Amino acid sequence: MLTLLRDLRTLRRRLALPAPGRGRSLAIRHVDAGSCNGCEHELTAAAGPHYDLQRFGFGVVASPRHADVLLVTGAVTTRMHGPLLTAYAAMPEPRRVVALGDCALGCGMLGLPSELVGRVEDVLPVDLRVPGCPPTPEAIQAALLAVCDGSV
Amino acid sequence: MTSAYRTAVSDALASGWSFAGLHATRAGASVRTALVHPDGRVRLETVDVHDGRVPSIVDLAPAAGWDEREAADLYGVGFDGHEPLRPLVDHDLDLGHWTVPVSGRDAYQVAVGPIHAGVIESGHFRFHVVGDRILYLDARLFYKHRGLERAAEGQSLAGGLAYAGRACAACAVSSSVAYAQACEDALGLDSPPALARARTLLLELERVWNHLNDVAAACSGVGLAAGSTTFAALTEEARRVNQALTGHRFAFGTIEVGGSRLSLDPPTVAEARRALGGIRSGAERGWRELSFNGSFVDRLADIGIVDAADARRLGTVGPAARAAGLREDVRVTSRRLAYDGFAAVVPERAPGDVQARIEQRVLELRQSFELLETLLATPFAPSSAERAGAEADIGVGRVESPRGATLCVVERTGDRLDRLRLRTGSYANWPSVAAAAAGDLLPDFPLINKSFELCYACADR
Repeated sequence: MLTLLRDLRTLRRRLALPAPGRGRSLAIRHVDAGSCNGCEHELTAAAGPHYDLQRFGFGVVASPRHADVLLVTGAVTTRMHGPLLTAYAAMPEPRRVVALGDCALGCGMLGLPSELVGRVEDVLPVDLRVPGCPPTPEAIQAALLAVCDGSV
Repeated sequence: MTSAYRTAVSDALASGWSFAGLHATRAGASVRTALVHPDGRVRLETVDVHDGRVPSIVDLAPAAGWDEREAADLYGVGFDGHEPLRPLVDHDLDLGHWTVPVSGRDAYQVAVGPIHAGVIESGHFRFHVVGDRILYLDARLFYKHRGLERAAEGQSLAGGLAYAGRACAACAVSSSVAYAQACEDALGLDSPPALARARTLLLELERVWNHLNDVAAACSGVGLAAGSTTFAALTEEARRVNQALTGHRFAFGTIEVGGSRLSLDPPTVAEARRALGGIRSGAERGWRELSFNGSFVDRLADIGIVDAADARRLGTVGPAARAAGLREDVRVTSRRLAYDGFAAVVPERAPGDVQARIEQRVLELRQSFELLETLLATPFAPSSAERAGAEADIGVGRVESPRGATLCVVERTGDRLDRLRLRTGSYANWPSVAAAAAGDLLPDFPLINKSFELCYACADR
């Protein structure tokens, strides 16, 4: 394992990601409301070593009870409508909703109208919209920093 | 329960054909079963629906279980002999209606999802357990069902591509190629070597990042951060190769019906080769470290077993089937792709447990890096499919996705889609995940699940 840890330290030096110029953090709860899994893969990548969301104090938390931000991906399907609202209702105030990706924003959604409720903002108050199919890890990071800065 | 349809399916299965998929045609007028021959030929056996019913084949081919349940839910077809016909896509609130009854002393249920405790797709697992021991697992997916197949009905053949390709980002290239080949099959078109080569390149790039991601996921399943971070970094670098070659990190929009616009000049392919060489040595180095790490290796053996007999019965495909010793890979018979001389690999130790499935990814990564090295030796130019035969109303495409065989059936009238059926490797393998979990411990389930690393999106569609 020491080899891997050494390699990762080398990678970190090579990437030379700037240190965060802030002392705030965000707890993020992700809900997949009906995505193609592209936004999930990029969200995972944003937490990976090349982007390292954690250096800003951002972490994905296991419960909406612990979350500041509800990050929703995908067009909202009829079957995820209820669980999505339940997750939102479980969050303490202040809370923010981020709609991540074109489907969540209602752009170019594919599917049967009878199986989809619609955009995220049709069911929840959305504070921040992150376009992209899927949004790049850089775009995800920039959006979360905007939430943290209080500009959202 | 004798019928010409059942006899045809039964005879085919007895003479070496395997079940490859089943779907109801538009408006549930008939039901078609796809069968695949070891040489790669696919044939369809069709039975018309009478009084809303057809005979079931689930006793002949248990792998048809999900397909029949889906056809019942979405197209209203009843299957005589499939008892009980539990809902699959329909979310019936009555628990007794969709779960398998499990009773006994101290047996209870653990319900997980649809929302999970991480960045994970939505789906519900209901574990029937005694203590930590899993007796049975009911996986209820389709929370992400978008009705993509039915929404594609009435689209043009070119317009239908998005419904297949965007079903799932992780298998976008595989599903798109399966769709394009199904359309080209119906249009009487064949792939010249240049087109075959372009598509094979994109398919193998997709496999590389997926398999790297699967090893990272297995490390997460064990809680080994150094391993998951290492392979997450390699996954990222592979996605950057995609970006450099196709302009998109998941190669969205690069597969087309009837041709390829992929154009790569010599410096671009040389740079991609160099980058992939670096990823390859990083993966080998990372795997060597993992394979000597006791706390990782000790977790993998003898859990989540789907052995060869289970795999045949359940219709397991892809790395999960090969990890059980079944030497089956669609690439061997992919005549329309550039896999000349390709041979399926299986691990030396192939009991179909978590360890074998992880080792299988490593073996396949080596193959894919070899293939990519050869493919990227020369530049790529746009190419078109060529006329090769007569047109037909139905076309079939079958592609080896990172998760296994993906079947696409296209039924059309002229340029209008009457029916699109996309049966991905994930769809085929979800029942195997449930079978693998039974008998193991609940805390091992995340690892067992990650050793399959199936998509929910392309199963749910």
